Amino acid sequence: MSHTSVLVNRRQFLKSGASAATPLIVPSSVLGRQAGAVPPSDRIVLGGIGIGNRGAYDLQAFLQQRDVQFVAVCDVREERREAVKSMVDKHYGNRDCAVYSEHYELLARGDIDAVLIATGDRWHALLSIHAAQHGKDVYCEKPCSMTIAESQALAEAFRRYGRIYQAGCQRRNGGNFVLAVELARSGKLGKLRTLHAQTVDARSMPPVPSHDWLPAEPEPSKLVVDWDRWLGPCPWRPYNHFYVQGRWRNYFDFHGGSILEWGSHTADLCQWANDSDHTQPIEYVPEGSNRGPFAVRCRYANGVMLVLRDSGWLGLGSCSVRFEGDEGWVETGDTSKMEASENLREFLHPPSDYRTALPNHVRDFLNCVKSRSQPRANAQAAANTHIACHAAYIAFQLGRKLTWDPVKAEFVGDEEANRMRSRAMREPWRI
Amino acid sequence: MQSRQRTSTNGSQQQPQAPRAAPAQKAAARPPEIPPEFKADAILSSDAPALIQLLKDPQASVFQKAKACQRLAVIGGKDAVPALAALLTDPQLAHYARFGLEPIPDPAADDALRDALKKVKGKLLVGVINSLGWRRDAKAVDALAKLLDSTDPEVAQAAAAALGRISGLRAAKLLEDGLKRTKGPVRSAVAAASLVCAEGLLAQGERERGLALYQTLMRPDVPKPVRLAAMHCTFAAETSLRRQR
Repeated sequence: MSHTSVLVNRRQFLKSGASAATPLIVPSSVLGRQAGAVPPSDRIVLGGIGIGNRGAYDLQAFLQQRDVQFVAVCDVREERREAVKSMVDKHYGNRDCAVYSEHYELLARGDIDAVLIATGDRWHALLSIHAAQHGKDVYCEKPCSMTIAESQALAEAFRRYGRIYQAGCQRRNGGNFVLAVELARSGKLGKLRTLHAQTVDARSMPPVPSHDWLPAEPEPSKLVVDWDRWLGPCPWRPYNHFYVQGRWRNYFDFHGGSILEWGSHTADLCQWANDSDHTQPIEYVPEGSNRGPFAVRCRYANGVMLVLRDSGWLGLGSCSVRFEGDEGWVETGDTSKMEASENLREFLHPPSDYRTALPNHVRDFLNCVKSRSQPRANAQAAANTHIACHAAYIAFQLGRKLTWDPVKAEFVGDEEANRMRSRAMREPWRI
Repeated sequence: MQSRQRTSTNGSQQQPQAPRAAPAQKAAARPPEIPPEFKADAILSSDAPALIQLLKDPQASVFQKAKACQRLAVIGGKDAVPALAALLTDPQLAHYARFGLEPIPDPAADDALRDALKKVKGKLLVGVINSLGWRRDAKAVDALAKLLDSTDPEVAQAAAAALGRISGLRAAKLLEDGLKRTKGPVRSAVAAASLVCAEGLLAQGERERGLALYQTLMRPDVPKPVRLAAMHCTFAAETSLRRQR
């Protein structure tokens, strides 16, 4: 069912004769005159799709922004729909948050400006593209794609439709990470040599996920969990509650492995540090085993190396990065602590708390929704980071050095690798 | 100090209160054991002839055939096409068959998918159309043109999307004509496909035709997101440093 025919957005209302015939008593909140109030014309109307654990974290950050009005949630799980509605209604003190099990219904609402997407990875690119096609701006959790082809389609869709996209790579707005990137980009490290990006420890999440299936269980009622919709574009497999309750990672059909899991954050910062948001490394050399330790050594066209690895870090927290130049080095991670070579310590001002990264990142997105400029983790930058991670994963899985042509978006002289750039989507889905 | 950290998979150190699950629905701490019949390693390490044989084996399980299809996507050649194509009519395995067929470079895969257009209906037909579009099979244009008028709206939308991806002058004409006679969601799909088609025309050097298609899409009766996108893309094409001058 489409909502476009029955819902009237605020602009349409103001244009209509009804508004002219209504006695002109305008509450001060509408005009934004109450302390801290934002007039409706400056509010960003937001919907959410697939809001679970991580999504709730994101949603809290959005709800803290006074110019956001969250109006609707969509989920294939009844329990989640109701939990998010309850959280949002409690926040606003009303019962207005609408619930949907079908994302097209939410996207058809003309009053919604932007959507927060925090489903499992399998849906990220497809839903983001659908949202762009419906004229919505998107904040989407990472990883943003399952394949190289999805990454390309994502960037193409947001360019084509002129919509704003922010990947949930919030470290691009985290003080310590930004400082490290600035040291690299400003030449303080000298000529850049090697950029290191942490991946998840292979012992808890291997680079190459499993193709196995969990035991079959009876499917719950479609109203409780719509298994077909949960699977979405992924190949069919029998239902097991374990997948649905957030334990879908480490299965090939649903997950891109540990390189992509954190590489979407850490390789992303390396891409930025190397001023490579428009491209990807051209060479990928895997080493180590699927149980770790492992690394993929990647080389950019400018000679700088990107090393994706799961061990050998200084212990500065998850999602660590280390940038090395011929005049110095810097390393940081999610503890917000920073270490650097002696000559650079003067630049290490007291780092901001990493937990400010998400609110900053959300604010960056909202500002860009208003200004129509590009946020830090925009679709093009995110796509290039993800392509690099997918290419590294493919090299690791094949166990051989691969050469990549970023312009043609193909591996040079390796048909097997090229075949792994995409996966056929289950009908009726397509990108 | 070196460390191998064990941290949450989403990379965040602190998590807020999540929507609360009912106790009975909470995730188990450990994953269930993988049943022997759902272990994939042996199948994934098989060579292509063995995988093809598995697809032909009436005793092989859905799991075995599914994994064989996925592996053939990487290593299967022309020889694998008939066995994969035979599964395109199987409701449980049709997607796996396409998973295997889509990346096979040999034109035999296109022939098999085109042939399947006459054999399947509903969602399976949508899947076959999607794969033909993904492969940009220009030989499928005539068949897709007919499907653009299908009474099944999902089939018609898929045909439109495939024509858009294949692009070219004939596809552009078909989509432009389709825009005049379709309604509702099918028309929205035709409009979105026309945008993709126009980009293809520009990439193929058919600049005037591509820009003309954008112009068509700027009409007030075209769905607003596509109309705005056509304006946006026209502006980008007309201001590009790589434009013809």
